Amino acid sequence: MSLKVDLLEGSRIALRSLANHRLRTVLTTVGVGIGVATLLAILGITQGMDTSFQAQLASLGSNSVYVSKHPWVQMGNWWEFRGRKRLTLEHLEAVRLQCTYCGAVVPVLDENDDVEFMGRSLSFVSITGSTSEYLEVSGFEITRGRFLTEADNESRRLVAVIGTDVADTFFPDIDPVGNTIRVGGKPMTVIGVLSRKGKILDQSQDLTVIIPFNTFKSFFKGNQSIDIGIQIKNADEMERAEDQLVGILRRARQTPPDKPDDFAINKPEQLASTYEQLTGALYGVALGIGFITLLVGGIGIMNIMLVSVRERTREIGIRRALGAKKRTIITQFVLEATLVSAVGGAMGTLVGLGGAKVVSLVTPLAATVRPMTIVFGIGFAALVGLVFGIWPAARAANLDPVEALRDE
Amino acid sequence: MLIELKDIHREYNVGGELVRALDGVSIGIERGEWVAIIGQSGSGKSTLMNVIGCLDTPTRGEYLLNGKDVARMSDDELAFIRNKEIGFIFQNFQLLPRETSLANVELPLVYRGVSAKDRRAKAIEAMQKVKLEHRMTHKPTELSGGQRQRVAIARALAGDPSLLLADEPTGNLDSNTGEEIVRLFAELHKAGHTIVLVTHEPKLAARCPRAIRLSDGKVVGDGPGAQIAFQDHQAPVSQAAEAHGS
Ligand SMILES: Nc1ncnc2c1ncn2[C@@H]1O[C@H](COP(=O)(O)OP(=O)(O)OP(=O)(O)O)[C@@H](O)[C@H]1O
Ligand SMILES: [Mg+2]
Repeated sequence: MSLKVDLLEGSRIALRSLANHRLRTVLTTVGVGIGVATLLAILGITQGMDTSFQAQLASLGSNSVYVSKHPWVQMGNWWEFRGRKRLTLEHLEAVRLQCTYCGAVVPVLDENDDVEFMGRSLSFVSITGSTSEYLEVSGFEITRGRFLTEADNESRRLVAVIGTDVADTFFPDIDPVGNTIRVGGKPMTVIGVLSRKGKILDQSQDLTVIIPFNTFKSFFKGNQSIDIGIQIKNADEMERAEDQLVGILRRARQTPPDKPDDFAINKPEQLASTYEQLTGALYGVALGIGFITLLVGGIGIMNIMLVSVRERTREIGIRRALGAKKRTIITQFVLEATLVSAVGGAMGTLVGLGGAKVVSLVTPLAATVRPMTIVFGIGFAALVGLVFGIWPAARAANLDPVEALRDE
Repeated sequence: MLIELKDIHREYNVGGELVRALDGVSIGIERGEWVAIIGQSGSGKSTLMNVIGCLDTPTRGEYLLNGKDVARMSDDELAFIRNKEIGFIFQNFQLLPRETSLANVELPLVYRGVSAKDRRAKAIEAMQKVKLEHRMTHKPTELSGGQRQRVAIARALAGDPSLLLADEPTGNLDSNTGEEIVRLFAELHKAGHTIVLVTHEPKLAARCPRAIRLSDGKVVGDGPGAQIAFQDHQAPVSQAAEAHGS
């Protein structure tokens, strides 16, 4: 008797058994279904997030670094960063003079504040104080009017270059240039509009107003530690540039040789690693939940299969007496478990994909579904059934035929 | 010799007490014989059938089937022999309740790997032999006791086995149908099949060329059916009881 016979007869019996116990089949599959649904929804959402995040990262401009007192992403001991000296224009000057890999070097100060125009108001707008070369460092362009000049900075002029979100809100129909807006309560004349950059991690980069560095200092936190925005001339030389910057800054700040750097060189890529850690953790937790649900589902299947073996003890005895080999019986029950589980997997796949779709509709997260994900969902469920079906199937096959036939 | 049993014991341990279902049975059955096994209820007849049918393994003793030691055969080989060589008719039918009678009859052929078309043809032929061709799509639960018995017989015949083992095949039949079944066995015997059947009807046993009487797991009579069937067996039984010390 061939494996083909085992498989054919096994599937026929399995299908019939499932059809005979429709309610039981559905209930059994729920566990596995939920597990698969969870896994797929998570996979779909994270895949979607990855896709949109890659696009977002590209907009950051990959050959700029920002020297700050603190790293953007703080890991570990927060106290470690407390006693650090401020970064000042002197340090900036040192970089500008000594760094051979650097292009534009600009001071950057940041603040979030309200911006108003004609009684309308935007809150939590990013206010940046910088100089004329900030465009090169930030990757913004000017679409209207002009950018800040040295003279704007020297004379602390009350001028502002605005991001598209600000422009669209306040000036939907008219040219913003020449109008006066209030930035943190101070009247400033709009001289230019920036190009659109889009969002990073769901935060718009276009909800921004850029004013001269000195103007910023006189109106906002004057004594704050500055950030030094640096354009690296050649992206390939990023690492060498960083090494050189570390040397320059340690010298300028007189960092003792036995102490670690008391400043941080921040790169947009760091956001990527933060993102990966963030989603990695999310991914891990969700996968864990999914696997646990699948485990529970699998145990449910094992339980039902044991019940099924118990119920059909006499049937097993009859089949064995008529010439079914142990292998045949195992195949029959494993197929049945696999089939139940695959049915659950298929239902779970539908629900999971639906869930991911809903998430992508009601939240800014995009959900993409790769065809492999569907195959994975059903295949994985089938695998769960197979694994958890083996033991009950082996029990069935190892029943003593005579004992089995005596079963009432 | 087709079947050779040498000092076969089959013991069960029930709650610490040893039950000797078979207690030193030695018999030989030639190919083509028609043997009845008789004896009181609980004397070990079904146990003996299970051993002969390679379904049960003796606790002790040697069983040679076709000269081959059954104890040395693998589980797969035993399954193969049950499928190919042996047609079982169980005391309580042992039909699959959810399958049609035709599907039940086809089952041994399924495990033999016969194509769907051929096994259908053979199953229908077997159903005709037991005069049940009008009940092929019925499930066992929709059949009378006698009809179920006949489905069980058809299933045993469908595989065309060389050895037919029937445990009370006429027990549930009225005398007319019973007679037909007996005639069927006679035909099969004439055609060369080896038949071992358990019966409690002396009249049926008397028609068999040979009968073996069991009592308390021991052979207490072996000879022409007409002689053994109506033999007064009180004496051997008490002898056996003494041997047990009970
Ligand atoms: N699985 C078992 N466990 C314990 N004892 C058993 C088992 N199977 C059979 N026996 C015992 O073995 C003895 C013989 O049983 P068997 O079924 O062979 O009798 P029988 O001759 O077929 O009886 P009947 O005519 O009533 O069918 C009985 O005493 C029975 O109790
Ligand atoms: Mg019996």
